[in-house]
Amino acid sequence: MTEKKIPSELGTRPVGELLRQYALPSIIAMLAASLYNIVDSIFIGHGVDAMALSGLAVTFPLMNISTAFGAMVGMGSSTLISVKLGQKDYKIAQQILGNAVVMNIGMGVVFAIVSLLFLDPILFFFGASESSISYAREYMQIILVGNVITHMYFGFNALLRSMGHPKMAMRATILTVLVNTVLDPLFIFDTINLGFVQFDGAGWGIRGAAIATVLSQCISLAWQVRVMSDKRELIHFKRGIYRLKSYIVKEVLTIGLSPCLMNLASCFVVIFINRGLANYGGDYAVGAYGIVHKMTFIFVMIVMGFQQAMQPIAGYNYGAKAYDRVTKVLKITIALATGVTTLAFLIGEFAPGAVARIFTSDAQMIEMAVVGMRYNCLLFPIVGFQMVTGSFFQSIAQPGKSIFLSLSRQLLFLVPFIIIFPHFWGINGVWISLPASDFVSAIFSATLLGHFFKKHKM
Amino acid sequence: MDKKLIINIGRQLGSGGRSIADILARHYGITVYDRKLIELAAKESGLSQEFFENADEKKSHGFFHSIFSARAAANALGGGDSFLSNDALFKVQSDIIRDLAERESCIFVGRCADYILREHPCCINLFFTADLQDRVARMAAEKGITAEQAEELIEKTDRRRADYYNYYSGQTWGAAENYDLCINTSHLGFEGTAKMLIEYIESRMGTLTPMEKGK
Repeated sequence: MTEKKIPSELGTRPVGELLRQYALPSIIAMLAASLYNIVDSIFIGHGVDAMALSGLAVTFPLMNISTAFGAMVGMGSSTLISVKLGQKDYKIAQQILGNAVVMNIGMGVVFAIVSLLFLDPILFFFGASESSISYAREYMQIILVGNVITHMYFGFNALLRSMGHPKMAMRATILTVLVNTVLDPLFIFDTINLGFVQFDGAGWGIRGAAIATVLSQCISLAWQVRVMSDKRELIHFKRGIYRLKSYIVKEVLTIGLSPCLMNLASCFVVIFINRGLANYGGDYAVGAYGIVHKMTFIFVMIVMGFQQAMQPIAGYNYGAKAYDRVTKVLKITIALATGVTTLAFLIGEFAPGAVARIFTSDAQMIEMAVVGMRYNCLLFPIVGFQMVTGSFFQSIAQPGKSIFLSLSRQLLFLVPFIIIFPHFWGINGVWISLPASDFVSAIFSATLLGHFFKKHKM
Repeated sequence: MDKKLIINIGRQLGSGGRSIADILARHYGITVYDRKLIELAAKESGLSQEFFENADEKKSHGFFHSIFSARAAANALGGGDSFLSNDALFKVQSDIIRDLAERESCIFVGRCADYILREHPCCINLFFTADLQDRVARMAAEKGITAEQAEELIEKTDRRRADYYNYYSGQTWGAAENYDLCINTSHLGFEGTAKMLIEYIESRMGTLTPMEKGK
């Protein structure tokens, strides 16, 4: 976005057309990112055993915390750099790049050291048990050693986007997914049977999955570094940009603080869910939630793709007071999102077993995942509406409502439900909390949206 | 005419920056752009004026703003840059400032114009201060408020202006190195200060003839 001018096509072209044009790339990017998460689980579920899935599920919050800190530098530096590029202030933009590298390394190293030192207590706190901890530990040790690489890789992707190379950032994401998908079976399995040919894998089990993850990020990182070392790029690596400047550090951290906190919030919820499930249902329930979460994640990411596409269209037209266009794009997006989440509902209610079997062949875990999925997807048709409404308020510069709505589904009501409901219904209480929270937050969304329409007489 | 006169003015609240800008503008027959920029920005972008007014001389990401506000939702929950974000509005406004400075001689008050036009060859960058009691008295009279209220207003406004300037320019608001002249208006008064400035401007630019507006 070197030349970020407010495009007037947002105010003139048919909104349906605009939405289609904007949605496709963001949905592809979102899907690629979510596949990345899912591939590991599938291979671990089949290549190791069901308990490994439980181990993997309790590492999820820790990975999220790492992502949160990575996002702090990544979002902060990329936002600041696009402001500077907008002013053609290449000198400071270069320094932001250099400072971002140093901050990523610093943050990544400190986070890795602290987490490695306290790894076992952290994992126990996140819901691990004596039987699942060995898997979680093996996986996380490698992931944490590679933490700096992960931070740099995600950080550079954000920077590439703001440097006007969204396609390169997407290619890096897809490259990582592909390499990871190829390496996963090679590293995890003892033998690989493709039907016509059979050969030995490394047989590293869950460790192999972690190594594949880090290695695939290494490869993409190397490519990113090559792109950003090109002297023809306006912004590229060179000497003298790495000394930390207090102005840059301060602004980057200030901007990055809120994405960081949002990520942390969503990770706390997963901790609560995992602990609740571990308490009332044991390790397999935790693993089952991992499966449920990954299945719904795909659909949630597609909805987010639509949200991203809607935001500039709704935002611009709201700013231009073209309220009919605002209403129209909101309606279309809600319809599309509802379609997507209704599909998730149908799959979750009528084919949960088939989904669970993609991840594991363990009968007990499949059974638990089926129950979990049925509960989790119960009110999914309204989740699309809920999510789109939240991001709508954000796009029209009413961040307070947007934050409230997104937190309401994922934190504000969910956490108390998870604490209270199991006292009455045991493990089902944990599962019921999920649709219950969807329901309450959808009511709030509808109320706020109704109020908004009334105010603007739409 | 090739040679232009661009004056960028930074100012503490109540230091008389705007009044002196008006005196200079009358003298040279050129336009002062301060809030007028908002109107132009709105027209240029097709967005309604109130968004620019809300964003006026505010930076995007205050500390508390960023805790409670929704840049987060954008990123954590999937969203792009809002077209109504202060960053985007700043970009529109700075494009307009550059455009105006390309076309005509004029005076910009605030809005980081000195930074935005840092490559422009004809800029004279000024910063006005005044003794606190003068600023308080002036604001109290102008707004019909008590001295305490005026002092609070001054403190708040100046902090906001500094945040805005520092964020977008990467420099320090009011630091002498960013300006050609920093003047305390309490000593010479508005007219006196303006007279002195005209002398300064003329020795820098040679004697400028009054220009037609818009040239």
